Amino acid sequence: MNTRLLMMLHVNVTTPQNVGAVPHGTRRIAPISGGVFEGTRLRGTVLPGGSADWLLRRADDVLEMDLRVTLRTHDGALISMRSFGLRHGPPDVIAAIGRGEPVNPATYYFRTTPRFQTAHPAYGFLNRLVAVASGDRRAEGPIYTIHELL
Amino acid sequence: MNSQPLMLLRLTTSPTEEVGATPHGTLSIFPVTGGSFEGERLRGKVLAGGGDWVTGKADETLELDLRVTLETDDGALIYMTFTGLRDDAHHYFRTLPRFETAASKYAFLNRLLAVGIGEIRTEGPVHIIEEIL
Repeated sequence: MNTRLLMMLHVNVTTPQNVGAVPHGTRRIAPISGGVFEGTRLRGTVLPGGSADWLLRRADDVLEMDLRVTLRTHDGALISMRSFGLRHGPPDVIAAIGRGEPVNPATYYFRTTPRFQTAHPAYGFLNRLVAVASGDRRAEGPIYTIHELL
Repeated sequence: MNSQPLMLLRLTTSPTEEVGATPHGTLSIFPVTGGSFEGERLRGKVLAGGGDWVTGKADETLELDLRVTLETDDGALIYMTFTGLRDDAHHYFRTLPRFETAASKYAFLNRLLAVGIGEIRTEGPVHIIEEIL
């Protein structure tokens, strides 16, 4: 798998909405109040409206993540990003994340697969790529290292 | 990002069902009639009945949406899906496979994300699938 760095994305999550036990697992929604992204080809901020991570804790304790964020580049283009992801790890590590403690991201699995949509011609290359990301859950929100799949 | 080989997937397809111009693009359905998969940790055959729902978009790229059932050589069923992107102008054909199984031996598939590199050969599509580590 050949990849190259696309950007680092920091998102800030606010108080989660605990929907609770649903037929597929335990549903929790983490609204996103903002954030920043930076790479050699694009940089900007995360818009708060319509950005959130729809989380589902499955019966096998794997956390499914369904993130949707709107990115605004420094030159005004809007980019819709969606990514599906999985997070799991040893119970003590996952518990520490839940308490908001700093945890070495190498000790758990947190991977996502972002896709992008934009109408802005300068960023049209994003419509034509598939990406993979590793996440680092911090107390204020995850940091994603996003790589373009070459 | 690190990855490790998961499987080589070969599909056979029957003639495309051309649904035509829909509100989202040009929809073609590639029925899957069979195939095989092989990796260090799993191998077996592809069951008939799945397909790839392929939407041609205004920017000349194809959006892929595949569903197939895999049967391992020891009898486990694995439901595999992928979304993906095929851009022939740039020789780019990449997919994001996901797996669901109830077989405990293969439960590791439920917990991983994967990427695939696709290629169209005369005998059918071939996908080199790697687990994202």
